[in-house]
Amino acid sequence: MRKHMKLVSMVLLVAMCVFCLAGCGGNKQQQEAAPAAGEAKLSDTLVFAQGAEPRGLDPALVDDGESAKVMANIYEGLVKYAPDSTDILPCLAKSWEISEDGLTYTFKLQEGVLFHDGTPFNAEAVKFNIDRQLPPLVTEDMGYAGFVFGSVDNVEVVDEYTVKINLKSPSTPFMANLAMALGAPIVSPTALQNNDNNVNQAPCGTGPYKFVSWSPSENVVLERNENYWGTPAKTQNIIFRFIADNSARVVALTNGEVDMIDGIDATVVDQIKAGQMTVDNIEGMTINYLAYNTQSPVVADKEVRKALSQAVNVPELVASLYQGYASEATTILPSFMPGYSAEVKQVGYDPEAAKAVLEAKGITEIHVITYTNPRPYNTANGQTLAEAIQGYWSKVGVTAKIDAYDWSTYKEKVKTGDYDVCFYGCNGDNGDPDNFMNLLCDPDPTMNVARYNNPEFNALIAQGVATANGEERNALYAQMEKIVAEDCVWLPISHAQVLSAYNPLVDGYYYHKTAVVFFSEMSKPAK
Amino acid sequence: MSEQNGQEQVLEKPESQLKEIWYSLCRNKGALIALGIIVFLIFVAIFRDFLMPYDPNYSDMGKAFQRPNSEHWFGTDQLGRDIFSRIIYGTRISLSVGLIAVTFALTVGTVLGSIAGYFGGKVDTVIMRCMDMMLAVPSILLAITFMAALGKGIDKAIIAIGLVSIPEYARIVRGSILSIKESDYVQAAKVIGNNDMTIIFKHILPNVLSSLIVRATLGISTAVLDTAALGFLGLGVQPPIAEWGDMLGRARGFIFSAPYTLIFPGMAISLTVLAFNMLGDGLRDALDPKSRNK
Repeated sequence: MRKHMKLVSMVLLVAMCVFCLAGCGGNKQQQEAAPAAGEAKLSDTLVFAQGAEPRGLDPALVDDGESAKVMANIYEGLVKYAPDSTDILPCLAKSWEISEDGLTYTFKLQEGVLFHDGTPFNAEAVKFNIDRQLPPLVTEDMGYAGFVFGSVDNVEVVDEYTVKINLKSPSTPFMANLAMALGAPIVSPTALQNNDNNVNQAPCGTGPYKFVSWSPSENVVLERNENYWGTPAKTQNIIFRFIADNSARVVALTNGEVDMIDGIDATVVDQIKAGQMTVDNIEGMTINYLAYNTQSPVVADKEVRKALSQAVNVPELVASLYQGYASEATTILPSFMPGYSAEVKQVGYDPEAAKAVLEAKGITEIHVITYTNPRPYNTANGQTLAEAIQGYWSKVGVTAKIDAYDWSTYKEKVKTGDYDVCFYGCNGDNGDPDNFMNLLCDPDPTMNVARYNNPEFNALIAQGVATANGEERNALYAQMEKIVAEDCVWLPISHAQVLSAYNPLVDGYYYHKTAVVFFSEMSKPAK
Repeated sequence: MSEQNGQEQVLEKPESQLKEIWYSLCRNKGALIALGIIVFLIFVAIFRDFLMPYDPNYSDMGKAFQRPNSEHWFGTDQLGRDIFSRIIYGTRISLSVGLIAVTFALTVGTVLGSIAGYFGGKVDTVIMRCMDMMLAVPSILLAITFMAALGKGIDKAIIAIGLVSIPEYARIVRGSILSIKESDYVQAAKVIGNNDMTIIFKHILPNVLSSLIVRATLGISTAVLDTAALGFLGLGVQPPIAEWGDMLGRARGFIFSAPYTLIFPGMAISLTVLAFNMLGDGLRDALDPKSRNK
């Protein structure tokens, strides 16, 4: 009887294993089904795994990076970024002219471009897309409308393929904004009309890929746009998968389930390399910083802020926390951005001086709020960063009381203003220095978390926006940096590198600085 | 019958019974080792301030992620804090949460269970249906809900974990009381005019004691595990306080690059839980006259 039982259990075990294996295999077979008849050599599908699902696929209605990555392959804007920088290249606009006063932008459009639904792309379509994000049509859900089109007064259709955009005031970042994956991409007007002005679930653009399906919390499937006006994409299908857990995503890459992943941090690099995968790291357009609440009585005094910043050994902190995958921030702007100045210096590390000042001012306790999630600019997560700073402050006799919240709760807490110090960061959207510096004069306290309000600084911001790109403009931003550094409003901590990883079989992989991925040039040999 | 025999033994020669339990426990090697571990843990918890080689919260960023070495026996964590010191510090937290939460749950559970079992009727229905409601929700989920409402902190963890384990004790006590209260000696105690409280506490509860002791010992291990779970989920303690589950949760990203940041807190949790479980098992055998007399 005993023997019998053993036999039965063995059989059951084997059966279970077989079922498990069959289950694993099934997925792959599905992905590789429907082979492309024409291309014998290339795999017909590339799979990209990201940490979260897009919030939607209407470029005007979402404001998150996970959506942007998908949309960047479906839609196009009038202009686009160069592959390795944020320089502006023509896209749906062949060429453009900017008037002397910087108020009128005239775009010549590509002819013969069709949206995925067959609607022709023309000046009317451009006007339709911008108008929906301007008053009176703009709605509160359009997160990037103000950022991208805030300076637009009106749009004129000159002829079928010429469109004129008139601005209210000169804005140098405007061109850069038009290349963004949020707000700026052009959506088919027919699709918008048919879908009640919301194509979150039914995206339709002019890009190299068409939307096929979206299975909630599982995947988004795109297929090649065979009628693409430019060079058609190399790979037929792109699948975006959503794997929330970092290590699960790494495992999915190393066992060949997916071809590319992003949203990883330094701790998994060794594991990825051991799995024979390639890690891609680019200088990120990011800033990770500590902000003093200038409205809080505890740190309203500039001397106190300076002393607190002096107590933190930033180079050591960055080296240790990010293990070489972030560089110490000496300025708010990353070094490759226009407006960066090597002359700007933050307060150095000087715990003795810090201790003396803090003792004299009687500062013993600081209320810190932070976030518990890893962010692209701070892969070690806000709580760990806060605890590291807490360690430094404890050495100069200051106790930090840390309240850590998940990201969405955190944003609400920031709104209340009940903190002395908080942690935040910014991912650059468009490569323009205004994108970063504007954070310090934004009237919205969830953007300007330091609640900084310096008329001199605000005047410089306005001047910077109105000045054309060049030395003069760069000097203005260097001056702003100096003011912020002198006032010790922020303690800039690090510029993160953006890490992503891919199967070395994938050809043509690149991850753009604006944290989006373009698949049209990528391919993978068929198995 | 055996129950009454046990009862007679308690009345006649309590000393010898304690001795017998002790001998029975000694025969169970596993339980004895477990007892040794628990005594050791309690020792560590009491004398932690003398045992810690470093300040558990002192962070030296330059020394982050050091492998276990002669200076830092268990290595250092992401912020350059000594893991050995942090584990010693966490011992008191885990044990005290376990002990206090169980004591609280035991006290409240016993009182509620006795009232429900002894008086029966509507009181019974009201109390036990409330307990059923609490039992219907997984205890850790309930604890998370309590923590989310109360906020972070050891004291709140104690309350949360204590509250969710009340129903178990209430059920055990009620069940035992239901079976005992109809027995002749309870009837006799009633007849000679003892009041309800005396009957419950003097005559009934001592009979429930053995199962309660076993349950409470096992309950401590559950409580230690729940504390760790709350810490792991980031709901346990206020940073930078060292707590095993919190240490484990914060280190889980480094499982491949710095496994020692996980292994040691994980071992501490497993060891503690295992010790209480084994002791609980040993006690159950020792306290059960049937298995003892084998």
